Amino acid sequence: MAGWSGGAVATARDFGRARGEHQVDMEQERQKTSPYSALLVAAFSIALFFLAYPLYVIRPFRRQGPRELALALQVIQLRPLVEILCVAAAIVALLLYWPRQERGRRRMLAAAGTLLTCAFAALARVNVYELMFHPDSNPVFVSVRRAKVDADDKVLAVKIGASARAYPIRSIAYHHIINDTVGGEPIVTTY
Amino acid sequence: MWDRTSGGLALTFHLAGINNQNFLMRDDQTGSYWQQITGAAVSGPLAGRRLTLVSSDELSFGLWSAEEPGGTVLEGVAKYASRYAKKDWEKEIAKEPTVLSFADPARNLEARTLLLGIHANGASRAYPYDEVVKEKLVLDRLGSEAVLLVLGPDGQSVRAFRDRIPALVDANGAAVANGGDAAPAFYRTFDDAQAHPTDAAWLKQSASAPVMMDEATTSAWNFQGCAVTGKLAGTCLEPVEVLKDFWFDWRNYNPTTTVYARPSEASPAAAPPGQTSHP
Repeated sequence: MAGWSGGAVATARDFGRARGEHQVDMEQERQKTSPYSALLVAAFSIALFFLAYPLYVIRPFRRQGPRELALALQVIQLRPLVEILCVAAAIVALLLYWPRQERGRRRMLAAAGTLLTCAFAALARVNVYELMFHPDSNPVFVSVRRAKVDADDKVLAVKIGASARAYPIRSIAYHHIINDTVGGEPIVTTY
Repeated sequence: MWDRTSGGLALTFHLAGINNQNFLMRDDQTGSYWQQITGAAVSGPLAGRRLTLVSSDELSFGLWSAEEPGGTVLEGVAKYASRYAKKDWEKEIAKEPTVLSFADPARNLEARTLLLGIHANGASRAYPYDEVVKEKLVLDRLGSEAVLLVLGPDGQSVRAFRDRIPALVDANGAAVANGGDAAPAFYRTFDDAQAHPTDAAWLKQSASAPVMMDEATTSAWNFQGCAVTGKLAGTCLEPVEVLKDFWFDWRNYNPTTTVYARPSEASPAAAPPGQTSHP
């Protein structure tokens, strides 16, 4: 039709060619970004495992088997280094992924993944047990006369040299650990 | 209670986890993890090391303060006071579930049966607390070691001693027939019916009063394990460490433990009086 020869009407062939070109573009984009997204996913997953596994195994009112406990403790020992590496890997992955990814939503997802990886590393440094049972980090001691303890309350008592000390069980049952020095000897009272 | 030095390094511990309801602690200096009940490092740079046990007692405050009027007492932290155990905490904790059990109805052992645990000569034995309080004085033999457990004048504190007096002599000053270290029999002399365990003045008077007498010399011995009158006045028995614990926890860490039973309840075919031979 005259006046319509400028190619304004799209044909099936045009759509097919466009879809093919689109698929090629996506494939090229995937090839450009997939190593970095894989790195980010790996860093995220490892950081999450190193945070969550010890929390899952070592929790109150759950039976701990010897092998899973040993593994959880090993994870804890390696965790500081692993979390640092995961954070570094996630940041590097994001920096390389971002310019190569044109889709805004995927960029945001990658950024969120990196932030979460950093959050896992930060949470791994939190001692949840001391959040449940606050420590008495600077224990104060008073004379027998000033002690507010009933006669029939129980105490853990120690005497080293001439120094005698008592730890009321009603309070150390909460704090669980008191680091102390009695008669010049460093001791730890546990309950 | 532990000496918190290891290899010359004073460690500072933090609550760091739990292992079948016995807690784990971590030291600041190396990041090693230690089991509370055994004092053993189970993970980290110091894994395999053990802390040294520090001898301690679990006593009523009234009795302890009468024994040690010059002592010092841990003061509670005001902002956590509402979280501290209530007066009836022992009844409440007895109802809490456990992840391990080892319950043995035939021996009246529930998971949270309260016990006094003793190690001697490589062997371990659990003494039901209620039984010891009822008997007030328990004489027992753990392998070749004679031990005695005695109830304090407050009616709730218990101490254990080696029932052994070096070079024991009889009332005439002659060495006893079996010579060397002798294990005399003791019997309780304290009148528990007259006790006033919450009366500070009474406790001050009674803390060092005799609670038992030995048959060999009729010397009178106090709750601190020292003879206060008689031929052996001034002699003290050697203390034996006692751990007050729940059965499930004691049994978990002492799988070959035996359990004390009163001589009239022990199987005559199993063991000498005062012993049960099976774990």
